[in-house]
Amino acid sequence: MSGPRPQPWGDAKPQDLALIKELPRLRVEYRKDDRLAYLGHLEVLETVSRCIRRAQLPFSVGNGFARRMRIQFSQALPVGASSDCEYFDLRLGENIDPDAALERLAAATPAALAPSRAAYVDGRAPALESWLTRSRWSVLVKDCAAGADALSGRVSALKEAGDLEYLRGEKVKHIDVSSALVSFEAMDVEGGVALVLDTRSSNAGALRPQILIDAALKGAGEGSGYDCLKVRRVSQAHEAEDGSLVSPL
Amino acid sequence: MKAERENLFHLLEPLLPHVEHPSRYLDHEWGACEEQDGPFHLCMCYADVYEVGQPNLGMAILYNAVNAQPGMSCERAYLPWKDMAALMRERGVPMLSLEGAAPLASFDAVGFTLAHELIWTNVIEALDLAGIAVEAAERDEDDPIILAGGPSAWNCEPMADVFDAVLLGDGEESIVEVCEKIRERRAAGDSRAELLLGLSKLRGVYVPSLYDVVVDEASTRWGYAVPKPGTGAPDVVTKSCIPDLAATPAVAGEIVPYMGIVQDRLSLEVLRGCARGCRFCQAGMTYRPVRERPFEQVVEAGEAGLAASGHDEISLTSLSTTDHSQCARILNRMHADLGDRGIRVSIPSQRLDSFGVEMALAVGGGKKGGLTFAPEAGSQRLRDVINKNVTEDDLERAARNAFENGWRRCKLYFMMGLPTETDEDIVGIVRAAERVLEIGREVVGRGYKSGVSVSISVAVFVPKCYTPFQWCGQLAPEEVRRRQQLLLHSCSDRGVRIAYHDSSTSLVEGAISKMGRAGFALLREAWSRGCRFDAWTSEFSFDRWAEAAAACGYDLEDIACEQFPLDARLPWDHTSPGVSKGFLQREWRRAAEGVTTPDCTRTSCVGCGVCPTLGVSNVIVEERK
Repeated sequence: MSGPRPQPWGDAKPQDLALIKELPRLRVEYRKDDRLAYLGHLEVLETVSRCIRRAQLPFSVGNGFARRMRIQFSQALPVGASSDCEYFDLRLGENIDPDAALERLAAATPAALAPSRAAYVDGRAPALESWLTRSRWSVLVKDCAAGADALSGRVSALKEAGDLEYLRGEKVKHIDVSSALVSFEAMDVEGGVALVLDTRSSNAGALRPQILIDAALKGAGEGSGYDCLKVRRVSQAHEAEDGSLVSPL
Repeated sequence: MKAERENLFHLLEPLLPHVEHPSRYLDHEWGACEEQDGPFHLCMCYADVYEVGQPNLGMAILYNAVNAQPGMSCERAYLPWKDMAALMRERGVPMLSLEGAAPLASFDAVGFTLAHELIWTNVIEALDLAGIAVEAAERDEDDPIILAGGPSAWNCEPMADVFDAVLLGDGEESIVEVCEKIRERRAAGDSRAELLLGLSKLRGVYVPSLYDVVVDEASTRWGYAVPKPGTGAPDVVTKSCIPDLAATPAVAGEIVPYMGIVQDRLSLEVLRGCARGCRFCQAGMTYRPVRERPFEQVVEAGEAGLAASGHDEISLTSLSTTDHSQCARILNRMHADLGDRGIRVSIPSQRLDSFGVEMALAVGGGKKGGLTFAPEAGSQRLRDVINKNVTEDDLERAARNAFENGWRRCKLYFMMGLPTETDEDIVGIVRAAERVLEIGREVVGRGYKSGVSVSISVAVFVPKCYTPFQWCGQLAPEEVRRRQQLLLHSCSDRGVRIAYHDSSTSLVEGAISKMGRAGFALLREAWSRGCRFDAWTSEFSFDRWAEAAAACGYDLEDIACEQFPLDARLPWDHTSPGVSKGFLQREWRRAAEGVTTPDCTRTSCVGCGVCPTLGVSNVIVEERK
C-alpha cells in the first residue's frame, strides 16, 4: 500500500494555518473600458489574477487541490458593457501600503482595466458579489427614432407589468422589473436617447440594461439590436435595510 | 493592386456583439507588440481560431524574431470563426490582422503556420476572406508574398499552387532572411518572378513555382518535382537548422491572452529534436538533431517569463522533455522555487519507465491527477516494428511505480493500423491495459473505492512523409472499424475505458498527406463545398470530402491506402529535413524484420545523415540517463 497522502500545506498542522478572515483584505476598484468591454466575466477574472501576479503583490493562496489565489469579485458585467466601478477583494499574506499596491497593480495592468482605488476592508465583511446589490447604469440608445418620451413610456409600462420574459441563449428567463428597476430617466441627446437606470439585484436575479431596452424598443415599434446600444456601469453600492446606499470604498 | 494599409477596427467592432467569444478579435493583450511601424510588414497567420492558434510556439518564435529587427514589424492573424466570417462577408469587411487591424492584403508578406494537414482548407478560407488570390499564379505584382512553414509543410505539394515560398526547418533565422530579401528586392524594383527567384537561393526556402511535376515510370501517380530549366533552383531544398538552441530566447510566448486558450500557460522550449527513432513519428525525423538548452538558461528564463506574464503554470515543452539530460535538476529546482506561489510546472508526456514516474512526481509534488504513458502498440513484436524501445517490463514497472506513488488513474496511448499489425496486436492493447489495471489493484486495493482506473486512447495510424513508414498504405476504414470492434469486444473489465479515433477523419488526413501537387483540386473543391475547421470534430464532414473527391475523380480510400514502391520517386523527394532516404529505406527494412535501432544520443551514430548533411550535431549538456 502507498504511504500517507501528502497534503498541499506541507508539514504545517491545520491548527497552525492562518484563518482566512484574519488575512489582510485589500479591496480594489477598477474600470473596464474600450474594446476590453467585450471580455467575458471569466476572462476578466483570469486577466486580473495575472495582473496581480505580474505586480508581485503578496497574495495569499488557498490550500485546496488546485492552489488558487484568494480573490473575490463583484457581480459579472454583461459582455459588451463598460464600467467605471468594478471591484475585487484580494487576501494578502502580509500588510502592504495600499497606495503602493495600487501603483504596482496599475503598472502591470492593461490600461482598459486600470485600477483606480484601493483600501483595506474588514476581513469579515460579506462577499462582494452578494453584498453589492445596487448598480447605476448609463445607457445610450443610438439613432433611436422613438425618442426619450416614447421610450420612457415603454420602460414605465414594463415596470408596471412586473414580469419580463426574455431569452438567454435558448433558455427562457424571467425577471421582476418592478423590483429590479429602482428608477430611470431618459432624455434626448445628440445621436440618440440617453438613459440613467438604477437597478437592484437579488437572489431572484439582476436586470441587465440590454434586456430592458430591447423589450422597450420592441414595444415602441423599433427593432432591437446590440449595435445601437452603449452600456456603462457608473456606480455600485450596497443597499442597507433602511434603503440607504453604502459605498464599497 | 495591393490594398491600402489602414486600421479597420471600426468596421469589426460593430460585429463583436453578434459573435461567439468576441475576445478572439480584440488584440491589446499584455505582451503584444503594438508598435507596428514597419515600414516592412509581415503578418503571421494561423488558420484556425485564436484560442487554437495563439499557443502555437512556432508562430510566437517568428513573431519575436521579426519584431526584433529594425524596420520590420510582424502582426498576427487568426481565422475568424464561422459566425464572424459570415458577418464579415455580409458587410464587406476583409480579414484583418490583430495588432493594426489592417487588411491582410495590405501586407508585404503573409506567413501561414501549417500545424497539420487538416488546416489546409482553412488556409484557402483565410486567403479568400482576405481578398488575396488563392493561387500564386493569379496574384498581382504587388500582392503580398504568401509564405508557409511548420510541421505539415513537409509535404505541402497539394498546397504548392497556393504558396509563393515555403520555409523548411527552423524558422527563426530564415524568416528574417526571407523578409530582408523581399524588402531588398521590392526596393530594387524587381518583378515578383525575380523576387521569388531570389528567395529560392536562400537555404531552406522552397519556391514551388520554380518546379515542374514529372510523372513517369519511376514515380508514383503523383509524380515528382524537378527544377524548371534555367531557374537555378536547387534539385533538393534542405532545411534550415539552428545549431545551438541556447543562442535563442527560451521563452517565445510573451503574449498573455485574455481568453482561455488550449494551452493556457507559459511555454518554455527546453530542447528541440528527438532521436529515439520511433518509425511512425514525423517530428522525430524532421526536427533532428537533438539540441538541449542548459539548466541555468531554463531556470532563469522560467523565472523571468513567469514574472513578466503572470501565468500560474509553466510547461517545459519539447518532443521528449524527460529525455533532457538535466530534466531532474530542472524540475526539482522549479518545483522548489515555484510551488509555494501556487505555480504549477508541467511536462507534455512521461517516459515509459521508472524515471518517467520520478519526473512526474517532481512535477506534481503532492498532487496526483492522471498519469499518461504512450506504449503505442499492444505487443512487444509490434513495438519493435515501430522502434518504440520500451518493453512489457518497462510498462509494468512504470505502472507499479505510479500506483505506489499515489496515482490512481492511468491513461495509455496506442495506435491502430500500424504496419504488420494483426488481431493479436489489437487484443494485446487490451491485455496491456488489463495488466496495468491489475497492478493498480494489487498496489492500491480492489473495489470501486480504490479509485483505480485505466483508460486507453487508440488513434488511427496515418503514414507521414520523411518517416520509415512513408511508403505504407493506410489501413482501410472498413478494417479500422472491424479492429475497433475487436478492441471493444476483447475487453470485459469495466475498469478499462476505451476511446478511439474516427476512421473517416484519419482517412482524409491520410489521403491529403500522400497526394502530390494535383491534390490541390481536391482541397479547393472541398473548401468550395464548405469544408472548414476540419480538425474540429463538430465541423468535419466526411460526406463533403467524399463528394469533393468524387467531383475531382478521386477516391479517398484508394489514395490513402495506396502503398508506394520502396524505390519510387516520391512527391516530396525534392525537399529534405536532412534525414537520408537511404536511412529511411534501411529503417523500413529493419521494421519489417522487427529489428530495433538505438537512440544516437545514448549510443553511437545510427547514420540518419542529418549531422553531415546540415553540418550540425547533437547538443547534449550532460550524459543522458
